[in-house]
Amino acid sequence: MTLTILRQGAYAFGLAAGLSALGGAAMAQDCTTKIGAVLPTSVDWGRPIAETAQFAVDQANEAGGVAGCRIEMVLRDTQVDPKVGVDAAKALVDLDGVQVLIGAVSSGVSMPILTSVTVPAGVMQMSCCSSSTAFSVLAEEGKTNGLWFRTFATSGVQAAVGAMVARDDGVDSVAILYKNDDWGQDIGKLIAADFEALGIEVTASVAITDGQPSYRAEVTEALRGQPEALYLALYPKEGVAAVREWISLGGTQKMIVANSLKSEEFRDSVGLQYLGDTLGTDTASPRVSSADTFVERYTARFDGPPAGPGLANSYDATMIALLAMEAAGEGATGAEIAAAVPRVTDPEGTPVTADAAGFTAAKDVLAEGGSVLYQGATGNVRFDANGDVSAPAVVWGFAESGIEEKQYIPLEDVDAFMATVK
Amino acid sequence: MIQSLLDGVLVGAILSLGAIGLTMAMHILRFANFSHAELLSIGAYAALVFDGLFAALFPLLSEAIGPLSLTWALAAAIIVSMAITAISAILIDRVVFRRVRALGGELSMVFASFGVALVIRNFISLIFGLKTQLYSEDIVFAVILSQDPLLLVKPDQVFALIAALIIMLALHLFLSRTTLGYALRAVAENPTLAEVNGINLKRMIAVVWTIGGGLAAFAGVSYGLTNQISPVIGRDLVLPIFAATIVGGIGSVYGAVLGGFMVGIAANLALVVLPSGYSPAVPFLIIILVLLVRPNGLFGEARA
Amino acid sequence: MIGVISYFVFFATVASILAIAVLGLNLQWGNTGLFNGGVVAFFGAGGYATLILGGTQQADHLGGYDLPYLLALAGGAAIAGLLAWVVGVLTLRLRHDYLAIATFGVAVTFESVMRNAEWLAGGAKGVRGFERPFREALGDGFSYNILFLCFVLLVGAAVYVFLERLIRSPFGRLLRAIREDEVAARSLGKFPDRVRLTAFVAGAVIMGVSGGLYATFYAFISPQDVLPILTFQIWAMLIVGGAGNNRGAILGAFLIWGGWTASGWALSRFAPVDVQLYTGTLQFILIGFIIVGMLMWRPQGLLPERLVVSHSGARNKHQQGRKE
Repeated sequence: MTLTILRQGAYAFGLAAGLSALGGAAMAQDCTTKIGAVLPTSVDWGRPIAETAQFAVDQANEAGGVAGCRIEMVLRDTQVDPKVGVDAAKALVDLDGVQVLIGAVSSGVSMPILTSVTVPAGVMQMSCCSSSTAFSVLAEEGKTNGLWFRTFATSGVQAAVGAMVARDDGVDSVAILYKNDDWGQDIGKLIAADFEALGIEVTASVAITDGQPSYRAEVTEALRGQPEALYLALYPKEGVAAVREWISLGGTQKMIVANSLKSEEFRDSVGLQYLGDTLGTDTASPRVSSADTFVERYTARFDGPPAGPGLANSYDATMIALLAMEAAGEGATGAEIAAAVPRVTDPEGTPVTADAAGFTAAKDVLAEGGSVLYQGATGNVRFDANGDVSAPAVVWGFAESGIEEKQYIPLEDVDAFMATVK
Repeated sequence: MIQSLLDGVLVGAILSLGAIGLTMAMHILRFANFSHAELLSIGAYAALVFDGLFAALFPLLSEAIGPLSLTWALAAAIIVSMAITAISAILIDRVVFRRVRALGGELSMVFASFGVALVIRNFISLIFGLKTQLYSEDIVFAVILSQDPLLLVKPDQVFALIAALIIMLALHLFLSRTTLGYALRAVAENPTLAEVNGINLKRMIAVVWTIGGGLAAFAGVSYGLTNQISPVIGRDLVLPIFAATIVGGIGSVYGAVLGGFMVGIAANLALVVLPSGYSPAVPFLIIILVLLVRPNGLFGEARA
Repeated sequence: MIGVISYFVFFATVASILAIAVLGLNLQWGNTGLFNGGVVAFFGAGGYATLILGGTQQADHLGGYDLPYLLALAGGAAIAGLLAWVVGVLTLRLRHDYLAIATFGVAVTFESVMRNAEWLAGGAKGVRGFERPFREALGDGFSYNILFLCFVLLVGAAVYVFLERLIRSPFGRLLRAIREDEVAARSLGKFPDRVRLTAFVAGAVIMGVSGGLYATFYAFISPQDVLPILTFQIWAMLIVGGAGNNRGAILGAFLIWGGWTASGWALSRFAPVDVQLYTGTLQFILIGFIIVGMLMWRPQGLLPERLVVSHSGARNKHQQGRKE
């Protein structure tokens, strides 16, 4: 009797093994690896960033998971409050045992997470959007142990391209409206310096603080110098409020905007009829069709293009982290994964696209010991020693169909321009 | 300069409407109600819903009135929204504040109001989403009053100001000429004595919330009309409205009106002097300055 | 298992740091009846000052005096006290609700200054570059966190003992007298204004210590850390725990911070996938309900104030506590 059971068991086992071998990699996800995400989901611009990260995870799972396991992204809200974000990160690292942490968005939250949770625990931290220069300083001091990366292209490039656009347009005077956080303060200062260096007068540089009921006073002040153009470094919510106010008060419609306003919400709430003379700056997608696949897939999934602050960066941050996990192999620690990042962003490597098919292709290449060049939504991402990214630039404008690109500026040209301006 | 003054008056009208309701509630119910500004949110969103409804049912109503971006549908929606907000205010009082009033002291009510504000704000964002919305997508251009010095006013803001003044006048007449108004003032002055004279305290409280809610709804819609609608209207306006109430003196309706305009004007004039990053702090600087000189606000009285 | 312990050590550290701030608030409100709506200003002043005094030189703003740790902490607390003295002199004579708003305004102004005055404290970038003491010896990991927790608990215990002694002392009686019946106290020749100012400043100093500990634990502080939500959280801790009771203050801190973090964790773990994006909003609704529910059910807090009856020169050393 025992023998019959054993034999039956053996048959069953053999059958199962055979079937699973037939099923291929896509079926063999009976293990789950967790990664952590600490993002501000309770804020309007934060939620889409989290959605996009999850989208990247879904695509990786579609391609058969990472190192043979399904990826589960455990999402925690930071409420844009440093102590809540840090606690959430600590819970993810200690209780869920994640080796990779995606987050946060605000520099004020990413920094304490970095210094008190991820670096001490040897966990890799990848941020889509933290902009403070303090991170580069920290990395140069050797305090990040190579665990910190951000797919946020430094503001220096954005500011330089913005100034280039103004120069090329023959503008003589500009007013600046910037968001009063570390990103906005930084880019506001940089572009003011660039304008001055080009001989363009900055008539006013006005801070727009979050959460104010009315920006009438700020807009009135910016209008005072009768500038020929307006530069905006704002997020859609206050951007819409400020620009509507500006336009209704008769301000010039010649505007230059940072990539944070590359959003359909902004276009629809202001109105395309007023945005004809608006040019925006952003980091470029590479001149290959693979970049379009990201936009296509995204549009199919979310019924709209990936326009909005941080979305493309969030996608790339997550994808690169997952690719690095694949390269580092099963059971890798945070430090090993971080060390594997150059292997997936190697300029000499095999290019792969930003979607599930690209992920599958990357897996094959990595399995053979090769390296991969991830061509992401924000360009050919390459991190420098501090985990920072520089990228070529693009000038874009609003159109019926969404956002259309007007000009592509290779990284060498941007660097050359920045050299002349300094 | 004059432009800033003008801007301040226009912005101040909205604050005044919110502050009137708050000052009445604070005086009669004896607690600082941090959820009052959420009534503005409720009003703005209720009007949004009914504006859409009316415009869909009666397409004729989608015509804008004159040079404003206000449509007939929205005007009708405002009336409905004022009623809804008043009812919400009464409900919240009945469900939460009345119980807390019976059990705890003033501090508990302040805290309860914080909790209520959190709940309302996040419920709105669950239902309507976090993105900003607009009553009308058109941008109405400002009218140039004079070329030199350059003075611009937006028609919507002028409408809000005029309507606010009319409402304040109506309230004044109500408080000074009607029996109900007298009863309300009696309750504000001395609730116990008023009850002795046969005034129904519970009914008066309901009246306070009705007036407060209705005014808040109008303020909320005006704000949405001249700026934009988002779930955080309450959070962004609560402090300027408090500033207006405190400056005017708790309990004084006229003080609230004056306080609203003062806060609006000061907030706009401040940027002439201070760097733009400090504008959130301006209402508070005003409060501190006024309270230094008059510790009970401009028209407030020391309470026993 | 070690992960769970590590997390709880971390959690306990933050909860204890916040508990110290709640103790300071308890002195101001529970014992003296001062409605301080600007808790975060004193907390933040302590935090910023500690990092500026004790940190390494930073390129673009004040600081880098590199003072020894305890000295920097003391300096931070002193600055918080100084701020409280100025604010107190200007505003303490105001009544309840006006005082709350005025102090709230001070807090908003403080955050505004920290956000904009880049020469002072780095603006929106915040203050970094603080070298945590003993870091070279112990590294950054679990053992360091345990050490820090012990230090925080030590400071917390010291503050607790100090406050408990204080309320049983003549000064404590004076505080209660002024809170209950100012006119009577004045008729006995006491100076309520001075006493209130002293209590306000003392409470603020304690909050400054808490802020300093907070800032040095993360080795970073920015305007994001000094937003009004912190004032709300500290107050919620005091209300729920029990105003007027130091043990209640500590209990409230652990409960509220525990609830805040646990609700986030629970929502992310148990909520279905489609709802994950909304957990932040749901958490706020939950917190709102808890606060309101608590106030409707038990507004005096979980551990209400115990009436302290102290006999002068009594042989009986035990205090008789009566529930009000």
